[in-house]
Amino acid sequence: MRWSKLSRKLTNGSVTLASIVLCLLLLPARFPGMELLGVAPNWLLIWVVSWSINRGFWQAALAGWAIGFLQDGMSEQIPTRALSLLIVGVLTASLKKQKYVQEDFISVSLIVFAMSAISETVVALQFCWYTWRPGSGLTFMHFDEVWSYYQDVTLASALLSSLWAPVLYYPLNYWWRRMRLLEMNSTT
Amino acid sequence: MFVYAIRQWWIRYGVTTGISIVVLLGAWSFRQSNGRILYELYSQISKPFEVPQAKEKDLIDARTRELSVKLEEQRQENARLRQLIGESPKNIGEPKFAPIIGRSANHWWQSLVIGRGSADGVTRGDAVVAPGGLIGRVASASAHASRVLLVSDPSSRVGVTVTRSRAAGVMRGVGSTTTIIEFFEKLPDVKTGDAITTSNFSQRFPAGVPIGTVTSVDLSASPAPQVEVELFVPLADLEWVSVHSHEDKPLSPQSELNSEVEILLDDE
Repeated sequence: MRWSKLSRKLTNGSVTLASIVLCLLLLPARFPGMELLGVAPNWLLIWVVSWSINRGFWQAALAGWAIGFLQDGMSEQIPTRALSLLIVGVLTASLKKQKYVQEDFISVSLIVFAMSAISETVVALQFCWYTWRPGSGLTFMHFDEVWSYYQDVTLASALLSSLWAPVLYYPLNYWWRRMRLLEMNSTT
Repeated sequence: MFVYAIRQWWIRYGVTTGISIVVLLGAWSFRQSNGRILYELYSQISKPFEVPQAKEKDLIDARTRELSVKLEEQRQENARLRQLIGESPKNIGEPKFAPIIGRSANHWWQSLVIGRGSADGVTRGDAVVAPGGLIGRVASASAHASRVLLVSDPSSRVGVTVTRSRAAGVMRGVGSTTTIIEFFEKLPDVKTGDAITTSNFSQRFPAGVPIGTVTSVDLSASPAPQVEVELFVPLADLEWVSVHSHEDKPLSPQSELNSEVEILLDDE
């Protein structure tokens, strides 16, 4: 099947956008088996990892930043998630995957687990920053409360996200790989 | 030469830069709109899975009967109180029942998504109550869905009093089913088992709404005495809530988070 370049790009873009909308819709939903200690999988983080795993630095950074803004829109905006997801995107993109990690079920889950832990740490530090910064007019939790909440949330979210990661990663990656193959065929 | 270099750069990266800017602007405007479009879509999709409407009618009927009994009692009490202090008590407003259609989209924040929005008269700042007492207030509303910030959220501040001794303090969430009250006085009259309600001084919540009971007291905490409160409402198992519009609520967007504290301190 030969597609014109424009229609292929448009289809690829709309599938990508649709996957983001699906992730956003999944965020407030709680299905049986998707919840642990009231925490659900962080679908947007899985999306950012899936996107960044085969892409360059700038694309990953941009995606992390934009997706962080989207998540802010879905909840309170301070502290912003754009920072933590940007870091996740950049780190995932710069992993030496050819050397150490294969693209299989286990590795993707492991990457998501590690990235989830990193992103929660960044958010916890952001909360501490707001607590520590004097005169900001915003106070959230005290340090010890941040710490105890961080421990609960990080483990639950990292476990759930890594378990559900393949559900999102496989179809998305399959689609993007196909698109890339088509692109290569059409240019040669 | 310089112009040529810029042109070359533009030919190579122009489209990419343009797309990046569009993507970021799009994401940013989504953030500024509090995800309005998406919550609308979500409320439409979740409509078939909503708890049947009959339940809402039952709730309203039960509520009406309860109110009609209470009303007469209140009216008499009001008349007597008004004579005594010459002041009319704040009213809680007409309830609007709303199904819970979603939970928090970010686990650092404690919130709910309810299936009623500005089209049903829900506005930002409305108090949200469930069987058992106060659960939070509306943080943002789209046409058919709104997000409720729970009292268990770390950024939530509620002015409260101990019903027994009238000791006043500010309650904040720590992300679980227990919350923490910090008192203004050095030695507040509070002990385990005391009931906690919203304060008369509170500008954002109607006065006298039940919240929870005191489970532990730490008077030596710094900077202010602290007690832990267990909420009456089982937040995890809720299906329906009622939203109360509250007329006298000066909600300035700038001092949104901590204005409750300032208002309370001003009143002290």
